[in-house]
Amino acid sequence: MVQSLPKYFAKIFKIKLYSINRHPEHQRCEGSQYSSNILRFFHFASLSVRMTICIGILLFSFSSYLAAAVSDKYGGELILTTTSDPKSFNDIIAKETSTTEITEYIFEGLTTVDAFTLKVKPQLASAWEVSADGLTWTFYLRQGVVWNDGVPLTADDVVFTFNELIYNETIPSSSRDIFTIDGKSFKVEKVDDYTVRFILPVKFAPFLRGMAQAILPKHKLKKAVDSGNFNFTWGIDTDPKEIVGTGPFKLAQYKPGERLILERNPLYWKRSVDGDHLPYISKVIYVIVQSADVELLKFLEGTIDLYTIRGMDYALVKPLEQKKNFTVYDLGPAMGSNFITFNQNPDVNSKTGKPFIDPKKLSWFINPQFRQAVAHSIDRAKIIEIVNNGFGYPQHSSMGPAAGFFYNPNVIQYDYDLDKAKDILAQAGFVDRSGDGILDDPAGNTVEFSLYTNADSTERMDIAAIISHDLEKVGMKVNLKGIEFNTLVGKLTSNYEWDAIVLGLTGGVEPHFGKNVWTSDGQLHFWHPNQKEPATPWEKRIDEVFNQGVQELDEDKRKVLYDEFQLIASKELPVVYTTLNARLVAVRSKFGNLKPSNFGGVMHNLEEIYIKPEYR
Amino acid sequence: MINDKDNSSIPINEFQIGLRNFKRNRLAVICVVILFVLYGIAVFADFLSPYSYRNENRNYSYSPPTAIHIAHDNKLSWPFIYGTQLTFNDFHKREYVVNKSQRYPIQLFIKGEEYKLLGIISCQYHLFGVQEPGRLYLLGADSRGRDLFSRILYGSRISLSIGLIGVFISFTIGLIVGGISGYYGGRIDDFLMRLCEMFMMVPGFYLLLAFRAAVPDNFNSVQIYFAIVIILSFLGWASLARIIRGMCLSLKEREYVLAAKTFGLLDIRIITTHVLPHTLSYSIAAIMLSIPGYILGESALSLIGLGIQDPYASWGNLLSDGMSIVRIYFAPWILWPAFFIFLTVICFNVIGDALRDCLDPLLKSEGKE
Repeated sequence: MVQSLPKYFAKIFKIKLYSINRHPEHQRCEGSQYSSNILRFFHFASLSVRMTICIGILLFSFSSYLAAAVSDKYGGELILTTTSDPKSFNDIIAKETSTTEITEYIFEGLTTVDAFTLKVKPQLASAWEVSADGLTWTFYLRQGVVWNDGVPLTADDVVFTFNELIYNETIPSSSRDIFTIDGKSFKVEKVDDYTVRFILPVKFAPFLRGMAQAILPKHKLKKAVDSGNFNFTWGIDTDPKEIVGTGPFKLAQYKPGERLILERNPLYWKRSVDGDHLPYISKVIYVIVQSADVELLKFLEGTIDLYTIRGMDYALVKPLEQKKNFTVYDLGPAMGSNFITFNQNPDVNSKTGKPFIDPKKLSWFINPQFRQAVAHSIDRAKIIEIVNNGFGYPQHSSMGPAAGFFYNPNVIQYDYDLDKAKDILAQAGFVDRSGDGILDDPAGNTVEFSLYTNADSTERMDIAAIISHDLEKVGMKVNLKGIEFNTLVGKLTSNYEWDAIVLGLTGGVEPHFGKNVWTSDGQLHFWHPNQKEPATPWEKRIDEVFNQGVQELDEDKRKVLYDEFQLIASKELPVVYTTLNARLVAVRSKFGNLKPSNFGGVMHNLEEIYIKPEYR
Repeated sequence: MINDKDNSSIPINEFQIGLRNFKRNRLAVICVVILFVLYGIAVFADFLSPYSYRNENRNYSYSPPTAIHIAHDNKLSWPFIYGTQLTFNDFHKREYVVNKSQRYPIQLFIKGEEYKLLGIISCQYHLFGVQEPGRLYLLGADSRGRDLFSRILYGSRISLSIGLIGVFISFTIGLIVGGISGYYGGRIDDFLMRLCEMFMMVPGFYLLLAFRAAVPDNFNSVQIYFAIVIILSFLGWASLARIIRGMCLSLKEREYVLAAKTFGLLDIRIITTHVLPHTLSYSIAAIMLSIPGYILGESALSLIGLGIQDPYASWGNLLSDGMSIVRIYFAPWILWPAFFIFLTVICFNVIGDALRDCLDPLLKSEGKE
């Protein structure tokens, strides 16, 4: 007899686990997920952009701070969660944030970004100077920095990291692109044991931010590079002792799928204001869990110290603040954006000989009035209310407010006004001629297209559904389609067969790092990829802005340029932005020295953070 | 019993015996009634539901089920509802404040959105509803303020029909393949059975996902619906074909098949008129028992967002809203579709079991030993 019920119940059960596995993970890491697949280099833009971390504070008065002083701050554990296992501990080849989230505590760069001012500040380099022409940079390494196996850090390590790792063609380094300008690499040379000189082919404004690149130990890795095994070095099965960095913590133990433990690096170079050897915390434990829901439950039961709140969680988490002894912080707008974009690719698929997109649809999408009408049809207020429970920000500019200095708030803002959208469409010749309730273009074609988004994120599905519903009110027929994230990325980057997509991108402080999206020859210029020459005057202008911006060393002059870029983007709307999530974090109230910032989150100064004695 | 009086003297066929046995199974009869009601709801969904599946009001995000009052000023009154207004409390929790000054009586045969009854008759009347701007949510609202009750009714069209169509396709394939394979034997049999095994050896859900990935994603919703039906049918036919083939192997040795052969009947005729009908008692029970598989298969696909797409409703895609503990915590009513899936699946299984018992005397006697 066929007994299909039990069998299918078993399947349903499996499916459920599977989906729970996937869906919140994407939702939470939407930005980072994307960055790991596409915007590879963002992972190194700063110490903490991706940290799913937050804020906490201790209102110690200054006097009690002094009284508590020196030695009794040591000890205790910080327990965090991550939803995916690191794939390796090799920072150079890592493309996934699950790895870099861990390695950023183990390795350090020459510079780092201040979490409050967003300015570059010294890290392994104690000082630097630049020649008058802006091409020669000399870095003076901090004296007395040692790797956590006791070997001193010298200029050789820096030269090794650049010349033999990043510029090594056999190593798929994700940062090589950034340190290569017009196909030319930097010349990196040792001056003496503690001085390194970089000679740039042309002026490169984001250079200092780029120097946050992690430096790796020559004495540990030289052999692997010489024998050609570097790509397989420092995998997840490596003995933790072999993984040597200069950072505040070192790897102690890793059990795949279970937990990862970092322990205090007693040889760390940094001292506190009072002269204490940092860091204070003796262990950082990452518990590996399946989903954000599990994280939430673990946080509420008190087994983890920190939880990144999604808008919808707030009403559940916030009321328990007193009872469960934690504090919720609203860090302001997040970096990652959500937007809708239209395919403007006029090219023909060389394999099939057919255009990537139906020419009649292309004629709508390349019409700026069409895109403006769409921009007027996005109900940002309700998206924030429904999707984020009120914790979100409308976005109009291509750099988010979290980018700070380079954010231009004075761009064209499109308010939610369906009548205006209809008017704009009517002016452009889109009217319902056939009387079926759906607009027709001037040539008489019914305006119908597909809108894709990744099905595993209920957040995106909701945003896409709200947008498509409004577009239907304006008179378009929209077929909403949730597909797998990787299929979606494939559509954008390789097969180019799509009409419209709702997706997100990670953001950063440095506008130049958006080059791969915005310049006409960018790898991720998804609305019209593979351009030989800029297709439109405004794309040409954006190319110019980026080319000038990268060579302009005066920050204020750079800002003028990038402000213009944001204005052009808002006028031409290759992507129509929707909303930004708020960064909300709940932290158990057991930490001292927390200095939350919008940019860095909480743990950006992990080495200074200590755990109050009663919680050790 | 009454039946005895009616039928005792008249010779009756096995189906009538089966039917009589079936009627004795109270539970199965109840399940049949429930299914009839559910399918009736599916057919008249647009009339029975107060709103259409895509009627949204974003001011009523996750509105709880609307309380229906029958007393006003301590006096009995025609059922009515109060207007509600969304507010966020200090913890950003959605709270719907009742506004007692706004009363909306529930009206029968109320004029609302236009629809096509049975797909042909244009009609504007709904069985019940309230005047705008009142909103009636019998089972609560989803994230965008769409009525869950209405969407469940509309969703039943997809969820319930997918089982029937799917089972029809896969049993047609199963019977043909099984019949041919069992009747001819030899190489054809080998080939067809290895083919079946290929389908059966891949874990069902992954095969489902693989087939789904092969569906072009520029399909519109109707095409996706049929694609899903066909995908599910392709998953289901193999196991049936194998069993039918086994039955045919023994049936083809029967004397009447031999007789038919000697009369020179075409093979196809022998298979369709002499062999396959004898597998029917088994097939009918198997059909009933396999329908839930299709319903659950569609739900599973829609649950992970790869099936029926918003704004269209199916029970599976309605349920996908409930995949987060936070949503369930604040809006437990979003789990209602699960109840309907459960009810339908149970009904089909009870009926299938009952049919199997009463159509297969051999099995029944074995069971009684």
